[in-house]
Amino acid sequence: MIVAYFIHLAIIVGIYLILALSLQLALGYTGLVNLGHVAFFAIGAYVSALLTLNEIPFVIALLLAGVISLCFGFFLSLPTNKLKGDYLALATLAFTLVVYAVTLNWTSLTKGPLGLSGIKKPSILGLSFSSNFSFFILTLIIVLIVFFIIKKLVESPFGKVLEATRDNELSARVLGKNTLKLKSIALAVSAFFAGIAGSLYAHYFSYIDPSSFTIIQLIPLLCIVIIGGLASLKGTVIATIILVLLPEPLRFIGFPSSIVGPMRQIIYALILLLILIYKPDGFFGKVELK
Amino acid sequence: MILVQLLINGFITGAVYALVASGFSLIYSTNKFIHFAHGAVIAFSAYILYFLFSVLELYFWFSIVLSIAFASFLGYLMNYVVYNQLRKKNSSVILLIASFGLLILLESIINILFGADVKIIDFIKVSKGLEFLGAIITPLQIFIVFVSVILFVCLYLFMKNTNLGKAMRAVSDNSELAEIIGISSEKIYSWSFIIGSAIAGLAAILIGLEQNLDPTMGSALMIKGFAATIIVGIGNIHGAILGGFILGIIENVGIWYLPSGFKEAIAFVILCSFLIFKPQGILGRKRGAEK
Repeated sequence: MIVAYFIHLAIIVGIYLILALSLQLALGYTGLVNLGHVAFFAIGAYVSALLTLNEIPFVIALLLAGVISLCFGFFLSLPTNKLKGDYLALATLAFTLVVYAVTLNWTSLTKGPLGLSGIKKPSILGLSFSSNFSFFILTLIIVLIVFFIIKKLVESPFGKVLEATRDNELSARVLGKNTLKLKSIALAVSAFFAGIAGSLYAHYFSYIDPSSFTIIQLIPLLCIVIIGGLASLKGTVIATIILVLLPEPLRFIGFPSSIVGPMRQIIYALILLLILIYKPDGFFGKVELK
Repeated sequence: MILVQLLINGFITGAVYALVASGFSLIYSTNKFIHFAHGAVIAFSAYILYFLFSVLELYFWFSIVLSIAFASFLGYLMNYVVYNQLRKKNSSVILLIASFGLLILLESIINILFGADVKIIDFIKVSKGLEFLGAIITPLQIFIVFVSVILFVCLYLFMKNTNLGKAMRAVSDNSELAEIIGISSEKIYSWSFIIGSAIAGLAAILIGLEQNLDPTMGSALMIKGFAATIIVGIGNIHGAILGGFILGIIENVGIWYLPSGFKEAIAFVILCSFLIFKPQGILGRKRGAEK
């Protein structure tokens, strides 16, 4: 029993890790205050769920979930590229709300508030991942791949230019870098991984509905990225593990489940406020939030 | 006839949006960051009205005064406890993320205190609507429009004629210059939270009388209020009122063409398009978004 519970937690941590690392790419390394991350997560989850419900193999659905999120990320970045700071935050937040409204109201496709159920557990080339343990292995492999891709990316010359864009966009442009294009690519790649995380989420729970993709979900993600520290992958990994596990003891204290949900949100919101007041550059952060 | 009805409905929802937007805009104009938690202040004070009037059964007018006072206090408290500490870091993004955190914090507290089910403040019984140019309008809706118009006139006179109003405009124009002539901008920040949140409290009452309450109503209203201010240019208090009415009318006429579920999405789309194509709004000066 207890082992099954830990495997479940490990899978959740894995999904959050993909989300947090990809948000780190946009927010920490490129300095884009992207509040649309949950929307890409939602798009990935719905795309993958709808494709596999229509008998498309899991691998293709997983990749398409990422690719379609990537396209949305790219198209979102085109008009919002020139926006700075809080204006960008609002435009991307509005995007999250639009995606939420669409999943809720496009009932012929998404079944609206009823959600999509019966999403199959993944199987790759006849290899089935229906048990939680095998799903954990799959998540672990994907997390490792994502981690190394993002690590390589931010250490490459491309990543350095992203950081230069974050620190001083004008100077980067003076050096002949097309910063608008760089920011688009960063947002699109970040959206790609969020879509992958969405796909894993949908197939793990085998049920999704719009309520899993509200703006409330942004709070733990922002918490993780800011506490771990901007532009620090190590910090992100540590912060994800700690923050995802932190509210778990609430389940054992014996609160009714209608209290546990809001309690979790209160804990995350309080942590977010405290970290902003007392340590806004996080524990492993290399740059300040600005 | 349908069009007249939709226009009137739009005008009434517009009055509510205009209330939300003017309080929000008042806070933005001096503080220069997006105070998301404004929506949660509205939700929270609507719940307080429900608690005082429907649960404790206090006198209606007494409950109203207490709810508005509560809203003011909540605004003041947020500014004092959170924003004052963060302002030193001189980053509107930190303040924005903090206000987003406050929004979720307050919504979750409402959720725990009152539960997630919808609540109804049963003050004005549903009465037969009056006919007006072939459209139906209820006495409560007339009351809403009446109260908001009075408030807008008061707000205009306040900003124009009182010392505090003038000081607020000074800080909003240039806080450093205002400091030089002896206006404490810190005090003015505080005052804008107190007054802006009081307007939020009033909005909460009007909304609470007409609609059901649910814990997440704040974020929805906040987006509406924000879309209304963006239409005309953020930080323009009187413009925000106009924006509120424009948004209300567009939304209500829009559902003539769209399924009603997409009513919510109209505001987001307006918000996005203005942010992207005309971030300074239709009345605003060109500054801000691309500074």
